[in-house]
Amino acid sequence: MERTMRRIGRCLAVASALFALGAQAQEIKVGGLFDLTGITSDVGKPYAQGVQDGVAWVNANGGVNGKKVKLISVDYGYKIPEAVAAYKRLVADEKVVMINGWGTGDTLALKEFVNKDRIPYFSASFAGDLTDPSKTPYNFFVGPSYSDEIRAWLTWVKDDAKAKGRPPKVAFIYFDNAYGKAPIEAGRRFCKESGIELVDEEIVPGNFQDATSQLLNMKAKGAEYAYINITTTGVSLVLKGAKALGLSTKFGSNPYGFSESLPAVAREAAEGVTGVMPHVPFGENVPGMARVLEFHKANHPNDTHDALYVRGWAYALTWTEALKRADKAGKLTGEGVKAAAETLENFDLGGLTSPVTYTPKDHRPSTKTPIYQVKGGKLVKIAEYDMPRKPEWLGL
Amino acid sequence: MRCGDFRESYAEDMAIFESPVSRWLLALLLAALAAVPLVATAYGLDVLLRVLIAVIAATGLNILTGFTGQISLGNAAFLAVGAYSTAFLAGRLGLPFPVVIPLAGIVTALAGMVFGVPSLRLKGLYLAVATLAAHFVVEFTAVHWESVTGGVNGISVPAAKLGPLELDGDRPLYFLVLPLTALLLLFAKNLFRTKVGKAFVAIRDHDISAEVMGVNVFRHKLLSFGVSSFYVGVAGSLLAYQARIISPENFPITLAIDQLGMIIIGGLGSILGSVLGAVFITALPELLRLATGALSDTFPGLVGLFAPLKTGLFGLAIVLFLVFEPDGMAARWHTIRNYWKLYPFSY
Amino acid sequence: MEFLLQLVLNGIVIGSIYALVGLGFVIIYKSSSILNFAQGEFLMLGAYVCLAIFTTARVPFAAAFALTLVFSVVLGMLLERVLLRPMIGEPVISVIMLTLGLASILRAVVQGFWGTDTRPYPDLFPSAPIMIGPLPVSQGYLYSVASVFVLLLLFSLFFKYTRSGIAMRATAFSQQVALSMGISVKRIFALAWSIAAVVSAVGGVLLGGIRGGVDGAFALFGLKVIPVVILGGLDSVLGAIVGGLVMGILENLAGGYLDPVFGGGVKEVAPFVALVAILTFKPYGLFGKVKIERV
Repeated sequence: MERTMRRIGRCLAVASALFALGAQAQEIKVGGLFDLTGITSDVGKPYAQGVQDGVAWVNANGGVNGKKVKLISVDYGYKIPEAVAAYKRLVADEKVVMINGWGTGDTLALKEFVNKDRIPYFSASFAGDLTDPSKTPYNFFVGPSYSDEIRAWLTWVKDDAKAKGRPPKVAFIYFDNAYGKAPIEAGRRFCKESGIELVDEEIVPGNFQDATSQLLNMKAKGAEYAYINITTTGVSLVLKGAKALGLSTKFGSNPYGFSESLPAVAREAAEGVTGVMPHVPFGENVPGMARVLEFHKANHPNDTHDALYVRGWAYALTWTEALKRADKAGKLTGEGVKAAAETLENFDLGGLTSPVTYTPKDHRPSTKTPIYQVKGGKLVKIAEYDMPRKPEWLGL
Repeated sequence: MRCGDFRESYAEDMAIFESPVSRWLLALLLAALAAVPLVATAYGLDVLLRVLIAVIAATGLNILTGFTGQISLGNAAFLAVGAYSTAFLAGRLGLPFPVVIPLAGIVTALAGMVFGVPSLRLKGLYLAVATLAAHFVVEFTAVHWESVTGGVNGISVPAAKLGPLELDGDRPLYFLVLPLTALLLLFAKNLFRTKVGKAFVAIRDHDISAEVMGVNVFRHKLLSFGVSSFYVGVAGSLLAYQARIISPENFPITLAIDQLGMIIIGGLGSILGSVLGAVFITALPELLRLATGALSDTFPGLVGLFAPLKTGLFGLAIVLFLVFEPDGMAARWHTIRNYWKLYPFSY
Repeated sequence: MEFLLQLVLNGIVIGSIYALVGLGFVIIYKSSSILNFAQGEFLMLGAYVCLAIFTTARVPFAAAFALTLVFSVVLGMLLERVLLRPMIGEPVISVIMLTLGLASILRAVVQGFWGTDTRPYPDLFPSAPIMIGPLPVSQGYLYSVASVFVLLLLFSLFFKYTRSGIAMRATAFSQQVALSMGISVKRIFALAWSIAAVVSAVGGVLLGGIRGGVDGAFALFGLKVIPVVILGGLDSVLGAIVGGLVMGILENLAGGYLDPVFGGGVKEVAPFVALVAILTFKPYGLFGKVKIERV
């Protein structure tokens, strides 16, 4: 990790040195709030690296209409107060034009601030709450919402359990924080509407070490399927615990618990587990992957990457496009970037994720949700669902 | 020529300001502090506000731990009580800040006295652990009493209001916090010139002897918990007004440890010590942040190293102070000052 | 019924690791009256060091484990010499704070060296569960419970029959008397810190094997073990064992029966609530020595 950081460092340093010769004024300052050391750092670090590399690639390939993006990265350790303090500093002193953020809790905490200060806030949280521009006009994300993801997974469960001829029994396992709870209400309603029996909900604390009592409870309730809404390390603990208890439950996970690193950490316990993957695995054969691989080969060929890293790239590519459009319109301000982002229509990321669309009335970038499964230690796509854009699902 | 610090009466011995010079210097310092918002950046002001709030909280903790000898690991919990009371009183009931802040202090004082009851039977380490339990109970409540605390998502706090006056943002709020801090420090300094304050110190030095001398030990221990928690509650209230959104994450157990660190490094049983310690412990990570921030253009890896560096530096500061200056910064300050007072005739 | 049994069983497993770490607390407290808040960090460090030796030196795991124990002995002695000895005669709070500061430093060192990712552990135990009656039990759990009890037995014998063990008990009874009997109290302190570091490292490695990985959350065990040792009484080896098991079971029962009612979190807070309740009636814990103070 450190080695990679150093390498990125070197190339960023070279890039920034070259460019410091040019014009300091031609710089667009963007804030980056990342979790490199907190409870979600297992997924936060590859994501942050993806964003940073994506920005470096954009800068090396023409920048934003010739202007360079300066990403000011801060590690907030997944702590809301740290995020608020860092936000104040980025906005008041660094005068950033927009921010690339991370977690659900801090994004929700900051939503009133970004509204007041008119700072477009692209965060890695796909919380459904953030999709309704009448409430959160400055919040954006890139991918289907957590709510659409849980709905898609539940749809897969229904398909998978068809042979049984009775409603499947499902449980939710989630973190005791804003991120964990984000899609739960949507999931509950979807179960009710589509005849799935929700038998149990288990809550685990952020840094749990042992989920045995939760799993036993779930076993007692007879859950056949369980959706895990935590991060990779925790998912692996749950899967291993389930294996030790001999549970036969089929587990599924949201995109922050499911990537190439899951089979690497959980090993045989991960076999057969399904997961929502809105961004493709690293190295997947899609057109958009070429630049990612090229950058990877040129800068850190020996590192391993995963879907979280690809997600970081997708973010950087999306918001730099918004910056380009805002710049062309001559409005490189918070309001201008927001308006420019809302002109994105089926913006193609070369298959890294589904095309992105924002409108002034709807900030759901996409509703296509692929489901992958671990087969023989590899991630295999088994289904894709396009959830309808129901008006009553906006903001939920 | 007077070449020394002579105290010729009890009144002189107990005076708050040792000499007119120190009085003038203090006035100068206050004036300088009052002028800071004119020049400070938003970030600088944010840090300064947090320093002042930490000064109030550390003074509260020092009253309990440094002056009365009751070790408390519950300070973060008391800050939380003050902050959540503020969120409720100001947010839900819409009360103005001159009412909210003292009320938050009183609510916290009551909570502190409840958690102080075990001190009747528990001492030293056992009491420390009982206050640790208080911390976890408060944290649990903050997470689960969602209708009042907003649960893990936190709760917004409105700007401090009084009629048409609204202290929105750090700059106006500073002019509330600064005088309040000065006032509370003055009160604390005076407290230990009174009978009650001296009873606190007697309990710290030896509780059984204090009882023999006619100090009602339990009553004074509870009173100390109350006064201390009042300070911490006021600090919590100001913290809520500054942060504008509070969640259980604002009050981790490490915050309680930081605050113990402040009074240890500053000096146990010294008001000046609370101030110096709070400044040191709050400013240290910010200096580190500036340093890593300045270097992160060349070494982006530093961004990820900030957290471990911060933890390590805090631990190192504590350990070094305890090994080399166990009486804290205040004691060192007195040594230095006394040396110069008699300079060059220091014998 | 099966549910209850499974919870209790899991409680015993976790509780036995609590007991092991608790033992470290008690040994230090018994000989030097210091409550070591860095015990959890010792555990974490032990787990990381063992893994680092195993992966970088490419030696068999048993050898890496043995080297970790040597490292722990040296660490304990070093810390005692450099940090703890200057603290003799300082107030309780200073000593508490010193161990808290030490904990911060150790956490920072681990984070600086190994980052915050979970590092995968080699498979120490076969992953297929063994059935005890109707209950599936992971083999790793059985091994760890067994090794915990072997260690506890060894320590009981150590305190009863060896010279050093008896000297430690004498020091705990009265430092002055011990000194006058020709016991080197400094040596005893160093020994106590080494033993504490060793038992924690053993706990860390076991835990790493059970979890299949090690990360910074291991340090939380230190905080979790505090109610254990206070419950048992800070100066009682038996207390650490009983306290560990009781707290492990209590925690799991609270998790199984109360968490669904309150929506999570009871598992973490229950030990502390129980602790305060017990301290109200027995201020020195279940097996702690009652101190009589005189003016």
